[in-house]
Amino acid sequence: MIDRNKLAGMGAGLLAATVMFGAGTAGAQPAAGEYVFGFVTETTGPLAAAGVSYHRGAQVAVEEINASKWIGSGVTVKLSEKESGSDAARAVQAMTQFVADRNVLAVTCCILSPVAGAMRPVAANAKIPLVFYGATLPGLPQPPYVSSVVALPGPQEVKMTQLIVDKMKPKSVAYFVNADNEGFQNRFKAAQKVMEGAGVKTAGVVSILSADTDFTAPATQAMGMNPDLIMVWTTQTPAAGIIAALRNRGYAGAITASDVIAPNAVFKKIGEPLAGVPFPIAFAAGVSSSPEAKAFADAFQKKFGELPDTYAAQGYTSVWYMSQGLKSLSGKANREALATALAKVGSIEHNVYGGLPMVAGQADVQKALVVNWSKDGKVVAWEPK
Amino acid sequence: MILFLEQALNGWALGSLYALFGIGFGLVFSTLGILNAAHGTYASWAAIVGYYVVERAGLPFPVAVGVGVAAGGLLALAVDQIAFQPLRSRKAGMLGALITSIAFWIILDSLAGFATEQQSLAFPAASFPSGMIDIGPMKVGQLQLIIIAVLIVCTIGIHLLIQKTRLGTAMRAVGWNEVAAALGGVNARMVILLTAFLAGATSGLAGVLAGAATSNVSFTLGEGLMLKGFAAVVVGGYDDVRGTAIAGILLGIIEVFVAQYVSTALRDGFTYSLLLIFLVARPRGLFGSAGFVRA
Repeated sequence: MIDRNKLAGMGAGLLAATVMFGAGTAGAQPAAGEYVFGFVTETTGPLAAAGVSYHRGAQVAVEEINASKWIGSGVTVKLSEKESGSDAARAVQAMTQFVADRNVLAVTCCILSPVAGAMRPVAANAKIPLVFYGATLPGLPQPPYVSSVVALPGPQEVKMTQLIVDKMKPKSVAYFVNADNEGFQNRFKAAQKVMEGAGVKTAGVVSILSADTDFTAPATQAMGMNPDLIMVWTTQTPAAGIIAALRNRGYAGAITASDVIAPNAVFKKIGEPLAGVPFPIAFAAGVSSSPEAKAFADAFQKKFGELPDTYAAQGYTSVWYMSQGLKSLSGKANREALATALAKVGSIEHNVYGGLPMVAGQADVQKALVVNWSKDGKVVAWEPK
Repeated sequence: MILFLEQALNGWALGSLYALFGIGFGLVFSTLGILNAAHGTYASWAAIVGYYVVERAGLPFPVAVGVGVAAGGLLALAVDQIAFQPLRSRKAGMLGALITSIAFWIILDSLAGFATEQQSLAFPAASFPSGMIDIGPMKVGQLQLIIIAVLIVCTIGIHLLIQKTRLGTAMRAVGWNEVAAALGGVNARMVILLTAFLAGATSGLAGVLAGAATSNVSFTLGEGLMLKGFAAVVVGGYDDVRGTAIAGILLGIIEVFVAQYVSTALRDGFTYSLLLIFLVARPRGLFGSAGFVRA
């Protein structure tokens, strides 16, 4: 019997080779050597669970790129990590240290949009390529130096909301939304617009704050509205807490959420109450069917003993994107040349999304999935009942 | 009307957690004269220890509560002896203790982050009483009722301890003047140790119950309790646990009603406006002694 890990490795190698030859860029190659990408990690602090995933995805990408010699013979990439704890001041401090280190060719960072916003002018002024792997606020990219491999969540969520309208046909919806988060306010309004456009009444809006941890009262408030559907547009900890509180209080109706409930850690924490709650996502290890997605999932599982989540895929994509820019350069690469090369990338060649166009420095995932957690903790394609 | 009553009960249960935490915080301030910024970490650590007792050791929730309470008390004892006793012996005053407590807050918070791998954990729902009870047309959480009952028992017990026992008398004496109490035959050192343990254990109890009730066992747990618990102590009066209990419950109910009927965005503004009003208009709080001033 062929060992599954070896098979996965061969598959990944074959894929990498296919991409390499398919790209047809055999003529241009950076000078041999090790190129360093700065990685601002967020493996401590309030978003550490997601931060670990981003970092692990990036590590898998580096191993694949180096093992397959994807950039060129004798050319390898390496991550240099500095921790920010999702704190803007620490992130900027890490960035200035990367800027000072001339070995660092580009930097990738940031889960939170305000942190990304603080990093952006530093990168632009220092003329160093900066790639966002997590922040989702529209307008963050600033070509040629600042770009984002994270697709904006709005279009995916609008598609899911339309699907919910078509399949579930709710008559009224209650919404949970962060009162202190502009991004989620916009995402809620986009969903509400789709719902009201289809004649679905707004039963009410329950606002919560990002730092809240007790959702008994908000759950009671929403249940008191007697909606056909409850949509949760909040950050991760509140979203998980709200769904748990609703189910614990006996709410058996339909609930939807955003991709914040996608990470394994969230299911591990909340468990069965999350089962059956649909959410849109760009990548899900058990659902995404492209060869690249399967190879990534296998490599990640081999290295870390669990399947990658959507955040791991974003960290992975970030390193492949920077490497693609590096690959297109000739001779000794520098920051300015890499920034120019990244600005010219029309689509990220190696991705797990079945296609990843880049428009003005912003990634655009066009094939969003709608999935849910199963009772036994697997992400599966959502099937409306 | 049912919604109103259910929300009132939700607020009562939430406020009971604030009050339970606040009782421990107030004990330290009134007896030991320390505004302890690290106090929230006792609740976080108690919840973390309790979580691991259930999750790793597979022991039942009541055991987790007991171990968590003991952990909170022992941690408070250790912090007191390592951080505050040297300052106390040098008569360093409240500011020195406050600054030291901030340092311990940061250290213990960071260690709690490592203990949870920086994640928010949750007690398995099956491990604690997480079901609902029908009281007439209302649905009430079992754990909510337990939290309310625990506060009532603790408030009465600690009030009686402080007001009706020799130990309580000694605690009040040390709170007024440690040297005078010692001259009067009180073993001040022992009273300080017992007070620190009791305060940590009470806040630890709040931490374990809050961790279960909110599905949030993390290093951030204590921070939320700290702010609201402090408000409960200020509004209720530093040296009377009955005031802290009532103020904590009121804060919880006000929070829930403001979110339900006014605006979530204004919720904390209402809470802290109330705190400000009490600080200005009645600095001794609802039940505080007229002449109570920490030197």
